[in-house]
Amino acid sequence: MSSNDRPLSRKISRRDFLKVGALAGATATLAACAPKVAETTAGLPDLTSGNSIPLDQLIPAAQSEGQLTTIALPHDWANYGEIIETYKTKYNMTINELNPDAGSSDELEAIRANKESKGPQAPDVIDIGVGHTATAMADGLVAKYKVADWDTIPMKDPDGYWWAEYYGVLVFEVIKPAIANTPQDWEDLLKPEYKGMVAMAGDVLKSNQSVQTVLAAGLSRTGGDFEKAPEAGLQFWKEMNEAGNFIPVIADQGKIAQGETPIVIEWDYLALANRDALAGNPDLDIKVPTTGVLAGPYAGGISAYAPHPYAARLWWEFVMSDEGQLLYLKGYAHPIRFNDMAKRGVIPADLAAKLPPAEAYEKAFFPSVEQLTSSKAYITENWRKVVYGE
Amino acid sequence: MGNNPVLEEKILTKRESKKGSAQPARSPRFDFNWAWLGVAPFFLFALAFLFLPSFSIVVRSFQGVDGSFTFKNIIAILTESDIINAYQASLSISVITAIGGGFFGFLLAYAVILGGMPRGMRTFMVTFSGVASNFAGVPLAFAFIATMGNAGLITRWIEAIFEINVRQMGFSIYTIWGLSIVYMYFQFPLMVLIMAPALDGLRREWREACENLGGSAWQYWRYVAFPILLPSILGTMILLFGNAFGAYATAYAFSGSFINLVTILIGAQIQGDVLYNPGLGNALALGMIIIMSVCMFGYAYMQRKTSRWVR
Amino acid sequence: MKKPNIWAWFILVIGLIYFFLPLFSVFEFSLRMIKGTYSFEAYRVAFTDPAFFSHFGYSLLWALLTISVSLLLVVPTAYWVHWRLPRVRPVIEFITLMPFVVPAVVLTFGLIRLYAQPPILLIGSPVLLIAGYVVLSFPYMFRAVDTGLRAMDVRTLTEAALSMGAGWGTILAKVIFPNLRVAILSGIFLTFAIVMGEFTFASLLSWPAFGPYMEEIGAMRAYTPQAMAVISFLLTWASIGLFQWIGRGAPGQEQVAGAH
Repeated sequence: MSSNDRPLSRKISRRDFLKVGALAGATATLAACAPKVAETTAGLPDLTSGNSIPLDQLIPAAQSEGQLTTIALPHDWANYGEIIETYKTKYNMTINELNPDAGSSDELEAIRANKESKGPQAPDVIDIGVGHTATAMADGLVAKYKVADWDTIPMKDPDGYWWAEYYGVLVFEVIKPAIANTPQDWEDLLKPEYKGMVAMAGDVLKSNQSVQTVLAAGLSRTGGDFEKAPEAGLQFWKEMNEAGNFIPVIADQGKIAQGETPIVIEWDYLALANRDALAGNPDLDIKVPTTGVLAGPYAGGISAYAPHPYAARLWWEFVMSDEGQLLYLKGYAHPIRFNDMAKRGVIPADLAAKLPPAEAYEKAFFPSVEQLTSSKAYITENWRKVVYGE
Repeated sequence: MGNNPVLEEKILTKRESKKGSAQPARSPRFDFNWAWLGVAPFFLFALAFLFLPSFSIVVRSFQGVDGSFTFKNIIAILTESDIINAYQASLSISVITAIGGGFFGFLLAYAVILGGMPRGMRTFMVTFSGVASNFAGVPLAFAFIATMGNAGLITRWIEAIFEINVRQMGFSIYTIWGLSIVYMYFQFPLMVLIMAPALDGLRREWREACENLGGSAWQYWRYVAFPILLPSILGTMILLFGNAFGAYATAYAFSGSFINLVTILIGAQIQGDVLYNPGLGNALALGMIIIMSVCMFGYAYMQRKTSRWVR
Repeated sequence: MKKPNIWAWFILVIGLIYFFLPLFSVFEFSLRMIKGTYSFEAYRVAFTDPAFFSHFGYSLLWALLTISVSLLLVVPTAYWVHWRLPRVRPVIEFITLMPFVVPAVVLTFGLIRLYAQPPILLIGSPVLLIAGYVVLSFPYMFRAVDTGLRAMDVRTLTEAALSMGAGWGTILAKVIFPNLRVAILSGIFLTFAIVMGEFTFASLLSWPAFGPYMEEIGAMRAYTPQAMAVISFLLTWASIGLFQWIGRGAPGQEQVAGAH
């Protein structure tokens, strides 16, 4: 039992094993260090100016990194599945997809948490609600970059720290077999025939989509006056709650299919994707409300601490190009450069036909970042007070 | 629990001889230090990954949105109406499910252990309770919405039989009571799992002795069984209370933040896309920790009282 | 043997209705993927998703790692406490109950803040995730092992073994572990169930675990998440049943609290 009893040969072989192990460990550490030395050699495009890097330099630089880390991109959201696959095959890159479920604040938190770490948990590119861009910039979490198509992007930060990628509007998603008359506008939702039928697709205290739902209702009531919209929106939903029309449940595809939530208010691209996915089981009707059409753009950015800065820039060159923007359209989301592309006639007619009629979008209201931030604060602080009287 | 110094000495000396080293007889003080070393890894791990992060909660409770030291959060949780309502709601749902879960769970445990059921039924119930007590979150919420929601199984049956429209009647399950019914799904089994061994521990001799002395069944329960079981029952009900208070996934999946609970509020403050006041979230968590700690102490205290009988 | 009580049957029937009706609702819904008829299409789709297996595999790996670390940490400590430091037991018990007391989301954020910068940079590797899982497993692992140790007379057995000349290795391997077999299995199983279903840690630390996958599927699809819920329920039931059968007659099987 005691160590004195062990044969000498065993003792030696254990020591040898330890030696070999230490040697292997040291070699591995050195090997890990080595490429870093090679990377900082001259020849790679400049990152600090924020100007667009020509593709012939960008693609090889990105390919030498080999990988892109994304976060919060569900495959069924605005056709991100196809966008991701196209990027992978077109540029021969791999993509490490983090946490598709993450919300905008989770994405910013991921950048913050991984500032010092270049590991696989550090995102390179983010896709956040426009209302979060202020925080992202204030906390120094994003790097500036202007893609080649910069000038045709209508909504962006002038220095290049963020830019809008796509937008949608809030629509009524209605289960046809359950509802005889599809509501046409926000005020219709208050009708007694829709008692216990109307739900939001998120939680007001946690989700941008739901805050915008309140805002859009308010916008409809005030006839377009944005300043009074938050208050009017809260009043609207108070009436919805008192009438019993509002079901306090977070709607998702499962609850729609099951029939619990016959009328759901969510982004058009999600509603249309639902319609495709459910394939008539049940049949869905999608209606853009007549008034109170609120556009909700999402903003893209590059992490200031990105482990793969070139791959990140290549991603944006791709996504903001005509090709990438059309992929958004395929997922029923309006690319932010829609108007420019329509003018140049690059939008295929069959793709455009799949969306709700363009006239419905003409009245879409695009709130500014400041408007979004202040209205968001007002709505979340007063939601429970106004609607539930707490 | 006292040490037997003679035996200790014998064992120590045996160990020394095994090691083949000649060491002086160990003083009790040295022995004490060496024993503590044995629990050191555990303590260090708990310190690094449990205490320090938890302590940061206390620290951050006093942090304002801009990072400065402030009492605003603590004051907020004691005064703001929606926060007070959240605590009230969480407390009510915990009390409801603790009492309801405790009561019916006890009956279930009684039914399978002492109700004269075939042995298989007891095994089935205990096994199933093990599964059901872990069934929570999104699937549980959906299961109940699919059962008693506006388009649920039971709702459709009722509508068919009584020819009424439940939706038009304005009946909604998304209330504290509705959520309580959902919570019972993991509260009943928990009660069963913990009470089953306790009921098992009621020795048949006691029942027989009672009958021999002329006592009725009621007297048996009133004077023998319940007094013995009471610490166990109370302790488990305290545990059920804590379990319900801390529940998050199920409540959120059921109705988001539309039902105002403390855990939901914490989630919204710390993690949501909309609110962002981690100081307040941490202060809320602090309040919750205090309540839960009281529960855990209560449970541990009751457990010790029980261990006299159930061995 | 008493004959079955009418009240007992009544209670049991009500209990069974309460438990099985919701399960039946989910099952019935999961069969409705193809319009107008009942089929197992949702189950077929659930299983043909490659992401299902990759995420399941990841969680499986981390569950095994968590179980190993937890066992290594808890079993010797519990044994040591029973044998040498019985007065420390309440302290250890309190520590192991702490994961119930502290909400997971707050704990995760605390961990991230502490270990996201040098000198202790844990965030790029799964170490932080495993550490979090091990902490979550404490109540179950310790409870199980503690109950098992209480049911056997640790001091007598150890002292008998020592007095017969056994070394510590032999004592642990041949005296303690065999008697704790069932208790350890119980702890292992509970830890496994927790890690596989855990969501908060994995999501906030951005690891591709099974919990976040189920959550995402639940949000973006219909019919398949419900099919997966049914499958996971049945699998858990089968495993617990198997485990009950293995450990029948053995002392010390207690559970502290379920997931919520």
